[in-house]
Amino acid sequence: MLILLVEDDPSQLEPLRAALLKVGHTVDAIADGETAQWFAFRKDYDLLILDWMLPKVSGVELCQVYRRAGKLTPVLMLTAKDTVLDKVMGLDAGADDYLVKPVDVLELLARVRALGRRSPMWQGDILSLGDLQLHVSTLTLELGSLTTQLSSREFQLMEYLMRHPRQVLSHNQIEQALWSWGEEPESNAVTTLVRRLRQRLQTIGVKDWIETVHRMGYRINPPNL
Amino acid sequence: MFDHSRRNLAHWFALSMGGILFAFAGVGYCLSVEEQLRVFDDELFSQSKTFAAKTQYLLYQSQWQNQRGQTPVESSVTLNGGLMYARWYNSNKQLLQFIGSSSGKQLTAEPGFQTLETPIGSQSSSTKTWVRQVTLPVLEGKLLIGYFQTAAPMNSLRIGLNQARLFLTFGVPVTFGVIGITGWFLGGLAMRPSLRAYQQLQQFTADASHELRAPVATVLSNAQVALMPPEDPLEQRLRLQNIVQTAKSMSTLINDLLFLSRHNGSFAETGLKPVDLCEILRSLAQDFAALAPAQSLNFNAHLPEHPIMLKADANLLKQAVINLLTNAFKYTPADGKVELHLFTQSHYAVIQVKDNGIGIPSTDLPHIFDRFYRVDTVRSRQTGGFGLGLAIAQQIVQRYGGQITVNSMLGQGSTFQISLPLKL
Repeated sequence: MLILLVEDDPSQLEPLRAALLKVGHTVDAIADGETAQWFAFRKDYDLLILDWMLPKVSGVELCQVYRRAGKLTPVLMLTAKDTVLDKVMGLDAGADDYLVKPVDVLELLARVRALGRRSPMWQGDILSLGDLQLHVSTLTLELGSLTTQLSSREFQLMEYLMRHPRQVLSHNQIEQALWSWGEEPESNAVTTLVRRLRQRLQTIGVKDWIETVHRMGYRINPPNL
Repeated sequence: MFDHSRRNLAHWFALSMGGILFAFAGVGYCLSVEEQLRVFDDELFSQSKTFAAKTQYLLYQSQWQNQRGQTPVESSVTLNGGLMYARWYNSNKQLLQFIGSSSGKQLTAEPGFQTLETPIGSQSSSTKTWVRQVTLPVLEGKLLIGYFQTAAPMNSLRIGLNQARLFLTFGVPVTFGVIGITGWFLGGLAMRPSLRAYQQLQQFTADASHELRAPVATVLSNAQVALMPPEDPLEQRLRLQNIVQTAKSMSTLINDLLFLSRHNGSFAETGLKPVDLCEILRSLAQDFAALAPAQSLNFNAHLPEHPIMLKADANLLKQAVINLLTNAFKYTPADGKVELHLFTQSHYAVIQVKDNGIGIPSTDLPHIFDRFYRVDTVRSRQTGGFGLGLAIAQQIVQRYGGQITVNSMLGQGSTFQISLPLKL
């Protein structure tokens, strides 16, 4: 998933970002509210993880602005404020979940998975599109009795395509979704990645699901749905 | 908790004061009853004496016994308005003569004062009234010649006492209520300092635990991420270094917190020896002068030659100045200047720490001595401060009756000044 992680203390931000990257998410890590707001409205994130107390714009304010703009992306609040009143305030501002610091990384990752499953396409840890099933925990694709193992990059691309079925996704969109802010992918990185993913799909016989739309990009198009 | 103590205080105060009030009112009432009775008796006695004296001669005349209908008494003596009746008896306590009402042929009462109920009017009517009766032996020389008995109604006395009782019945509870309310307010007043101290302590504890959360979160997440697959030795090494750094800063924070709570309020005044402020600052200046080149700072100390003595704990004073100097070094960019001054001004020793660094925004100035206050969270996080240095410095300085003040212009630098009274 593409995650916006906002935390003003760099010593806390860095390990959380590393943990999210390790389990195959793409993370934009930002240290202040103002910049975070700019990013939140500019990119199409799957999840926002916001610290409450931020310089310039607080996490709660950011969450309120984001919700008022009609954005439905799940928001997870992280904060050292732990009174019931604080939690109520945070949740009422539009957060979907709330974690009190010090955050246990394993719990955070579990909640991130849980929030990612909010979309109707998920059943537990499995994202399905027709008969095709993507297992988040094992990074495997399953079709009937056939399975194939994906690398984390391939998995990210597959997940991104599956969550936007039949939508044409441009090179640029794919780059934004799979590479964190500041990472510069090679100019042919997306093409290479699509080719690799198609090879994996071939082992389970669904290579032709990913279509190339000339001059536009790619889309996943399940034939029999 | 405090409400409970306050209630207790008010409760005990009201009980003790109320007890005193009740005892006082009771004793006062009894005394006033006795006093009024004494006055009444004196009055009655003197009245009866004059009355008896007027009529004494009658007792000598033997004609008393045989001419009882037409007594000269009736003709010559009338009862004073105050008296109910007057009775004359001979020495054998036989009734000789009476005005008003008679109670019988024989004198039954002992000489002296008595309080009794008699029917009003001459005949037995149902209404009775309390009277005070006095029976006096009448002496001629040493010889008992008879007895004289008279009585006065106690209405006036009773009315007075009733009024007193009425006043007490209403007055005492009202006063008791007032005492209770006063007790409640006094309790509140007495509780105020401890309440304030308690609230400060709570705030401090909340702040402290909040501050400790951040480094704990860092240690925890670093360790957990290092353990997550795929494990990379280089990354693990970096994470361990992070953990070490964080643990060190936590240790500093905990030491600061302990310092603040230990020296909260009063330090032991005893055993303070006079210390030479010059000596303390000289050794500090050497340490900081050694640090300055590393940060390309220009550090100068201007200390007087003669010793400046004052009674204080050298280590604590050192700590206060170290905190100011550390801040000056922290918030002064490369090629900046930091100066340490020491001089005496009337009865004060004045220490100044001047820098031409980034300065403090005027909106933050009133708060910089508050615990955990950081001017700019991002910047202080990077410089590793917890916002306790100035709070500690202020506590030490105030502890020795001194003052710490600051002047600052944003972008031009800050001057912190400590003034300590020179009392030995």
